[in-house]
Amino acid sequence: MTKKKILVVDDEVALTRMLKRNLEATERFVVRTENSSPAALAAAREFQPDLILLDVMMPGVDGGEVAAQLKEDKQLCQTPIVFLSAIVKKDETAPTGSNIGGATFLAKPVKLEDLITCIENQLGK
Amino acid sequence: MARPAESAKRNKTAAANRRGEGYCRVRIAKDGMNQPKNEANPPETLAAVEEKNWAGRWLSPKGPRATVLTLLILGLIALVSLLVYETGGTRYAWLHLMYLPIILAAACFGVYGGIGAALVAGLALGPYMPMNVTSGVLQTPSNWLFRIGFFLLVGAFSGLISNMLNGQIKRLKEIHRRLLQAHEELKSAQMQLIQTAKLESVGRLAAGVAHEVKNPLAIIQLGVDYLTGTFKKVPNPDCQETILEMGDAVRRADTVIKGLLDFSRSEQLSLVPQDLNTVIEESLVLVKHELTKHQIALDKNLTGQLPRVDLDRNKVKQVFINIFMNAIQSMGDNGTLSVKTFLPPGAPGDAGRGVVMRTEDTGAGIPEDKVDKLFEPFFTTKPVGSGTGLGLSVSRKIIELHRGTISLVNRTGTRGVAVTITFPVPDRSPL
Repeated sequence: MTKKKILVVDDEVALTRMLKRNLEATERFVVRTENSSPAALAAAREFQPDLILLDVMMPGVDGGEVAAQLKEDKQLCQTPIVFLSAIVKKDETAPTGSNIGGATFLAKPVKLEDLITCIENQLGK
Repeated sequence: MARPAESAKRNKTAAANRRGEGYCRVRIAKDGMNQPKNEANPPETLAAVEEKNWAGRWLSPKGPRATVLTLLILGLIALVSLLVYETGGTRYAWLHLMYLPIILAAACFGVYGGIGAALVAGLALGPYMPMNVTSGVLQTPSNWLFRIGFFLLVGAFSGLISNMLNGQIKRLKEIHRRLLQAHEELKSAQMQLIQTAKLESVGRLAAGVAHEVKNPLAIIQLGVDYLTGTFKKVPNPDCQETILEMGDAVRRADTVIKGLLDFSRSEQLSLVPQDLNTVIEESLVLVKHELTKHQIALDKNLTGQLPRVDLDRNKVKQVFINIFMNAIQSMGDNGTLSVKTFLPPGAPGDAGRGVVMRTEDTGAGIPEDKVDKLFEPFFTTKPVGSGTGLGLSVSRKIIELHRGTISLVNRTGTRGVAVTITFPVPDRSPL
């Protein structure tokens, strides 16, 4: 089975490392991590991920702007994006992600099984 | 002999005290340190002032004091009359003593008291007439009438002064009462301002703290998940238990964060006219499992046809669930949770009138010294780890944003706590 490519973008280095370790441990995903918004755009064009996990609040260009730039890219505009946010509460989102204003949100801290379910739901669309 | 330095210092202090400087400095410094100022040096209550003012109590007598004074005045009149008779009216000085009860009566009972005492004194001297003592001071009826007239003059004049003084006393009392009232209002406003400032600071901090703490929590959560997967392959009960406890700790911390975010965001309301009973029913459904689990009976008495009130359904449900869960946790296993709604009499728009929701539990209640602190952020009576201390403060904030009120008291005469929440009834009548 082909492993799905996930791009994780978050300014927290330890968090991206932990996400990579967890997702790759399932042997179903190949994960690339980036810790800044400008690098994320370049990495996305090069890596061509199947899904992008994107932090909302990042220094400089925030997750929303990164998502907008990705949507303008012809090759990446169809790539599903899941926002990982510390500013939404667990009871404002379903454990496996909720659609808020057309985007999928997961509230931090997220449990691995909920994250994987959310990723699978997005990839299965 | 005092040393010159000490003597100079004492003289300097005495001079400063005469000017009032030393005292003022100490007072200002103390007042600045001891907040709130009013708690450190509260003004005397009107009752305390009355208690000290013994002269005032006797000069405006009421009830038993009035009787005692009347008897005293009559007794004095009788005594002076007796002295006059005994001396055959030859001692002018004894007669002058009659002014004493007259002035006393005027001071205590005003103009009418003075005139009354003067008449009684005059009449008391009447029996002297048949004695016909030529050398006496009351040997003729005209002399006697003149004396009565003089008594009346003194009684009326003294009474007039007494009335004026009593009027001034009443005015001062009224000013004192108003000052006390103003002081109480200021104290209350000051406390409210302090509380509001405190809540605002907590609210501002909350959102920032929540965001900053959630990222590390996410890392720990994912770490726990990773280790859980790893130790599934290499069973080790101690490690598995440790990981489970770490997971629980993350959940607890996340609950606190959720409370902080609730607190910082509760300003945003989406008010829609709602039936309060329906919102209560929906909230009760969500705690039904807990009620069954703890074998707690539900005594529901919801008054039908209540006027609709403007509510943010989700936020009010959050409040109700919080109140119900507090009650359930305080009762442990077995107990009764009573929930009732009603509308006190009054017209729509009347101040203080609103739809009331009251819950009562049969739990242990709250220690009286802690009741005042229950709505303060981070105050909890629950064991460590069981409560965030934000539930009731968030609840109060939500209710106050609805322009409602919430109060929590120990039930009188029985165990448990009663919580009363009032939502104002909007006046929807056409103008």
